[in-house]
Amino acid sequence: MMTDDVTIPIDVGPVETAQERRTPAPEQREVVFDVQDLGVTYGSATAISGVNLAIYGNVITAFIGPSGCGKSTFIRCLNRMNDLVAGARVQGALLYHGQNIYGDGVDPVEVRRRIGMVFQRPNPFPKSIYDNVAWGPRVLGMKKGLDERVEKALTRAALWDEVKDRLKKSALSLSGGQQQRLCIARAIAIEPDVVLLDEPASALDPIATAAIEELMHDLKDQYTIVIVTHNMQQAARVADMTAFFSLQVGDGKRTGVLVEYDKTDKLFTNPADKRTEDYVTGRFG
Amino acid sequence: MRTSFQDELNLLESTLHEEGALVLRALRGAINALEQRDHELADEVIAFDDDVDERYIAIEEGIQSLLARQTPVASDLRLVLAILHVNLHLERMADYCVTIAKLSKLVPDVEPSPRFLEGFEEMGARCEEMIKIALDSFAHRDLSAAESLVTLDELVDRANRHVVEQILELGEAHKLREYGLRMVLVSRSLERIGDHAVDIGEQVSYLLTAEFREFTDATHPTSRAT
Repeated sequence: MMTDDVTIPIDVGPVETAQERRTPAPEQREVVFDVQDLGVTYGSATAISGVNLAIYGNVITAFIGPSGCGKSTFIRCLNRMNDLVAGARVQGALLYHGQNIYGDGVDPVEVRRRIGMVFQRPNPFPKSIYDNVAWGPRVLGMKKGLDERVEKALTRAALWDEVKDRLKKSALSLSGGQQQRLCIARAIAIEPDVVLLDEPASALDPIATAAIEELMHDLKDQYTIVIVTHNMQQAARVADMTAFFSLQVGDGKRTGVLVEYDKTDKLFTNPADKRTEDYVTGRFG
Repeated sequence: MRTSFQDELNLLESTLHEEGALVLRALRGAINALEQRDHELADEVIAFDDDVDERYIAIEEGIQSLLARQTPVASDLRLVLAILHVNLHLERMADYCVTIAKLSKLVPDVEPSPRFLEGFEEMGARCEEMIKIALDSFAHRDLSAAESLVTLDELVDRANRHVVEQILELGEAHKLREYGLRMVLVSRSLERIGDHAVDIGEQVSYLLTAEFREFTDATHPTSRAT
């Protein structure tokens, strides 16, 4: 029972809110890629033009947009994969930690060592699970502690427990979802700075997709992750920042343009551009 | 274009407006029952709440299904969330109408002054107007109409204070004191209905601006809708 002479003190000190405990906003982080007026042409056709955006470190950045909008073309610029396409020309500047990766004297192999890539279809080498992961480090001369390096990469890719007893088996014996995680392990075995994922889950079932999404989330404390996805809900689920690309039609030509780039929350609750609104709400076309 | 999704969303919104029209009828019935001491009408108002609840539940279920299957985003998401909130506000208003109807039956045989009934009539009419404006501002996505609810609510609050002052002057007799207590609750119910109408206006504002904001703030009473 309470008596009159007992007072319950009320704590009126400042209360830390859940909002304040959250990680800093993406734009407060280091800029990893500073893309300035980037354009790509294939022969006489313009794939994308006038792209300006900053990609921040240790967050997941997603590119969404309709087929043919140039989002895959764009992600391939980030590690100079377009160099391998005959007739492709890149204009503008793409600064990676302040250095133009299309500048004179930049070695594209070194670019791709720092900026790894995983593709739509799992594409393991027809070798053992172990050799798939060890291949990159061996080529780059990182031969010291190779077993530990392979184990670490497979563990980071959330695959180790499933394959540790059959490392010498062919990688092709794995399921599609496991093969894709193996490709992620292969990409991170050489300790890149950035991992690019081009539709990494589009060939996978929902369970394997969820595993890849969970993995991306786990990896972002160590890597900068950029993903292209057809699946808008996937972008909404995993990405911190989202860029919406669309097609601009003029003079009978179709060019991919960056329409809007913002925090994922903002893009999916209150997009600034009508074209984004129409696309994310399914009113497109 | 996701046609079936749009159809479902349109159906939810029209059901919401149906619910709003029922609340308006319940409110008019409750005020009339009180003024005319019509117990039969009061019973009708009480029973009528089932019709409101039916819409309320249909909207809740519809939203649950829509969220589970359609993952609405952007303005669609804001509309779904606004409907969810407005649905609850309307259901609460209907509950207050039931409260007024029940209180009207509990009144012992006291003859109130016409001035006193005029006060309730005024509050009731203002609340009706507010509900209409709230629903219209939602239907027409009209931000300035939604914001105008704050001013109207002040009139309801003022009328509430007048009613309470008159109740205090009713007299000492036990019967009168009991009557006065019941009428304070009626007045309070009407005042709360006005508050819920303002809350609906805030949902309209959220729908249109994507910003969560209160039109008025208890700790900063001078702040007003911009």
